[in-house]
Amino acid sequence: MSQARFTTSDPRHSSIRMWVGAVLIALVFSSALLAPAIAPSKTLLWPVPVNLDAINLPPLTTGHFLGTDLLGRDILAEALWGARMSLVIGIVAAVAAVTFGGVWGALSAFFGGPIDTLMMRAVDGLLAIPNIVLLLTINTLLTANPFLHSFPEWSLRFLKVTSFSSGYLPLFTVIVVISATTWLEAARISRSKIHSILLEEYIYSARALGIGVIRMLFHHLLPNAAPVLLVEATLLVSDAILMEAGLSFLGLGLGPSTPSWGSMLTTAQSSLIEGNWWAVIVPGVLITTTVVGVNLVGEGILEGQGGKRQAT
Amino acid sequence: MLELLLRRCLQAVPLLVILSIVTFAAVLSLPGDPVDVLVGNAQKDMAPAEIQVLRQEFGLDKSPVEQYFLWLSNGVLKGNLGRSYKDGRPVVTIILERLPSTIRLVATALFLAFGTGMVWGLSMVILKQSPIGKWLEAALFLVALVLYSAPGFWIGFLVLTMAGRISVLGDVPLLAVHEAGSPPVNPTAALSAIWYVLLPATVLSLRRMAKIALFVRAATLNELAQEYVTTALGKGLSRIRVLTKHVLRNSLAPIINLAGLSLPSLLGGSVLIETVFAWPGMGRLAVESTFGRDYPMILALVLMYGALVIFSNLAADMLELINDPRRRDAYLAEVEGART
Repeated sequence: MSQARFTTSDPRHSSIRMWVGAVLIALVFSSALLAPAIAPSKTLLWPVPVNLDAINLPPLTTGHFLGTDLLGRDILAEALWGARMSLVIGIVAAVAAVTFGGVWGALSAFFGGPIDTLMMRAVDGLLAIPNIVLLLTINTLLTANPFLHSFPEWSLRFLKVTSFSSGYLPLFTVIVVISATTWLEAARISRSKIHSILLEEYIYSARALGIGVIRMLFHHLLPNAAPVLLVEATLLVSDAILMEAGLSFLGLGLGPSTPSWGSMLTTAQSSLIEGNWWAVIVPGVLITTTVVGVNLVGEGILEGQGGKRQAT
Repeated sequence: MLELLLRRCLQAVPLLVILSIVTFAAVLSLPGDPVDVLVGNAQKDMAPAEIQVLRQEFGLDKSPVEQYFLWLSNGVLKGNLGRSYKDGRPVVTIILERLPSTIRLVATALFLAFGTGMVWGLSMVILKQSPIGKWLEAALFLVALVLYSAPGFWIGFLVLTMAGRISVLGDVPLLAVHEAGSPPVNPTAALSAIWYVLLPATVLSLRRMAKIALFVRAATLNELAQEYVTTALGKGLSRIRVLTKHVLRNSLAPIINLAGLSLPSLLGGSVLIETVFAWPGMGRLAVESTFGRDYPMILALVLMYGALVIFSNLAADMLELINDPRRRDAYLAEVEGART
């Protein structure tokens, strides 16, 4: 028997893990930024030209380093442009979710009493519905015709919706649907954090000064909860990227006009039967890499803060 | 003790009420009302007065609050949640047909995720103790991290393609070919039903399995740093004895809790996995109804999934209350505190 001692977790390892995560994220971000340089395109809709003479080319073909998909689009170029969409969806959805959830939780904790109970019970009730089922339901409700017809003209022009193309409308819907699902957890975290902040002395003095609700919320409560909410936002980015992939896979995502890693997977699904495995591998690996990176960094920061994400 | 369990049961009631209110609000926000759907194109041939009578029959002239109670008493409690737009049968009948398939899939996945995840996590802790095993542990950690981060349906694709190509495995039943509903009764068919569920259930369980493995590893390593472990080792107990007799017991409570919380995410994941593997369960029904805009079906499914999650959380909580005297005492103290 060796010496009677256990090897436990090494604190150096967690900082190594965080660096690895940061490098992965930096790689993905730089590839998204470099997209126009490597694969030039003027438009974000159909940025990669369709070429039906060169469909399902294997990787390492000249001119197509990672091969082409079933529409003859270069997979490397698709992946680079797709990185933009996936990251935009992930970041915007996470920020929207944390903003809304953060304010919801803060108001709930601030008012307390029956309002608090009501607001948090609503969150609990919605949390009982599994993620994807909630995504499907919100998607159905949001894309019901009356909602689409209620869009004002200028917003349709802004989203480049024409009678031939739905433009960026799917992008907008996907972001709304994802953030409408993920704000719940942020609301819970924000409420418990603000609940403890409310016991601080500076809050007592602020109250004694007769500060208004808005000022209290945005000057005292939310800024002090910001570190916790920021970590939650980071972790939600990875959730949102995975959700976008899932939605696209079910055919409720961006569609083939706007490349994202999720919509690439959807297209690749149809060509898998023709042996085009690389079109499936590339977006999947990219999603996994990004999510690993974000999780490593998020959990690293969380560990540094001495907290732990609630087990779910 | 019985009183305690009953109390915990009562706590689930407000959640169910909230769930039903949320679902009903969604019903109300839907475009068109049931009368429009029922009458359809015949509307132009009917007198407005006749339609008015129909609306009264459906209770659509009442206030939303009254409508909610009507819906609750006539619909939810009597299991009459409307008919599917798609094939006209009652939605509850269709859902109950699909329920056993989903339960079979999710229960197998839960069992696999929990069992394998525990062994995986503990073996990482044990391997970490030896200088060579350390590297193996790092590899296992990396695999768990990747599995936890990869989209499950993507792994499903890859498994399907590979299983189709590698003939070493023999005739792997790739896609579910049995009818929706309960498994066949005769023993050979029941055995093949297990074989069918194995592949989708494994794919479904992977993400949870990795999460449980990482969680067990972290919880046990954390526990190993406690002072009582040093004391136990100082007494001259062997490391294996300390690990199995002392550490494992203490790190088990949060793990049981995590297993209970796994159900919502497995149910959610099953929607995608059922689609990949053409599994005739509730998840696929949900996807089909989304595409068919089958509103009554979607909302009944939301209610069903929500109720499943609430009851499973209740069951997990009760198990914990029975198991862990510390939690029981804390809970009792809380109840006492609320009384005074």
